[in-house]
Amino acid sequence: MIYSSELIKGTLKTIVLKQLENNKRMYGYEITQKVKELTSDKIQITEGALYPTLHALEADGLVTTETEYIGKRVRKYYSLSPKGKSTIDEKISELADFMNTMKFLLDIQPQTI
Amino acid sequence: MYCLSDSQIDFILNDISARGIESVSLQQDLLDHICCIIEHELEENGDFERFYLATVGSFYKSELREIEVETQHLLTHKNYYVMKKIMLYSGTFAAAVLSFGIILKFMHWPGAAVCIVLGLFALSFIFLPLLFTLKIKEKQQNTDKAILVVGAISAVLISVGVLFKIMHWPLANMMTTASLMIMLFVFLPVYFFTGIRNPQTKVNTTVSSILLLCGCGLILTLVRIPQTTHFQRLEDTAYFFRNEQILKNEQQLLSVEPQDLNAKEIYTLCESIKSQLLMKETGQKAITADFETKEALIGETWVNAYLSGGTEKNLKELQQKILAFNQANGSKSGFEPIPENAVDFWSQAKVKDALNNLVQVQMLVLQNQKILLE
Repeated sequence: MIYSSELIKGTLKTIVLKQLENNKRMYGYEITQKVKELTSDKIQITEGALYPTLHALEADGLVTTETEYIGKRVRKYYSLSPKGKSTIDEKISELADFMNTMKFLLDIQPQTI
Repeated sequence: MYCLSDSQIDFILNDISARGIESVSLQQDLLDHICCIIEHELEENGDFERFYLATVGSFYKSELREIEVETQHLLTHKNYYVMKKIMLYSGTFAAAVLSFGIILKFMHWPGAAVCIVLGLFALSFIFLPLLFTLKIKEKQQNTDKAILVVGAISAVLISVGVLFKIMHWPLANMMTTASLMIMLFVFLPVYFFTGIRNPQTKVNTTVSSILLLCGCGLILTLVRIPQTTHFQRLEDTAYFFRNEQILKNEQQLLSVEPQDLNAKEIYTLCESIKSQLLMKETGQKAITADFETKEALIGETWVNAYLSGGTEKNLKELQQKILAFNQANGSKSGFEPIPENAVDFWSQAKVKDALNNLVQVQMLVLQNQKILLE
């Protein structure tokens, strides 16, 4: 089952930040592939959601970019800024709290994945 | 694994830019992304063009530009929150500092001017412009936008006008009058007649219009009309003229030239400062009985606007002479010292008060002369 983009939208920032924390620096395509691989294809980040989010994170000062030339084209690597590093725990605990609340709200029994 | 040629990369870049992706940074991101997908997923001898179109087609719902629009939306949305925050903080700051400044002013404690200026600055140049920028985004119709523009202009003008007024800076009256006129004759009619047509906003519009009209009315009640100003100036001039007459009569009655050198100089210095000030204020060297027909009236100008052309030098000299005069005669019985601050006009004194003070100094010189002769 592939999760709908509406579900992913609200958590995308946290997902991206966490990937950047684990992998130091990544480019866009790499992020989508990594997430896809980790979730056994269940979460497929669309390009239309990923890049606006990355640019917003950059504008917020949570990620920084560095560019490298790959032949004729430019590859942009994204990595966490110090501000991003300090925000990430906050974001994750907020999401965890949200998931607990949803479990309670929707009456979901704890289950093993 | 497919190997992309330079011309294919150029083709992709041109295509995504033709599809409405204008931001260079986003172009770079998408170009690399598409190239990665093609390199990883297309077989070595696959059909580049077909695969590219299918790939780019999976990026959007109706057109590729969505990504750019969404990015712009997220970025302005971020500014929106920052602006809202600054607006709230600057508004709170302005209100707090202004109120504090007014308390200081009423209690005649120091720091009032700094607080009031800071508060009004924050109000007129940070809070109101931000409020305007945020509100105009919410308005859809052009009339609503126009009302907001006019309202914002008159609000900024009125607060800057009041700031200039209390600081005695130029153009204050013009700004305040202009803002009230705009408010009453442009903003209010447009606001009222557009709001009253909509049944939902009818009551609110009427109440706000009444409040606004009454508020402007209250301010205008406090304004002195030009005619009153004219009467005031006539009275002030007549008052000074009478003082001058009395001084002249006293001087003739005494009929003895002052012996004290300081007294003599004080007297002549006062005369020349008076004529300098009168020249600048009325265009005449002295006030004569026909001042009303000549329109040679003393107004409410501040003395510090007239200090050029030797007046300031004369005033300083006068102050020194008064000090010397008081010191030389202080021990004599019956001597009435001239108050040292009598000619301290630098900070806040109006021409009419300065002129009358100078006459008083001369009277004191004459009076002391009489006492010292006895």
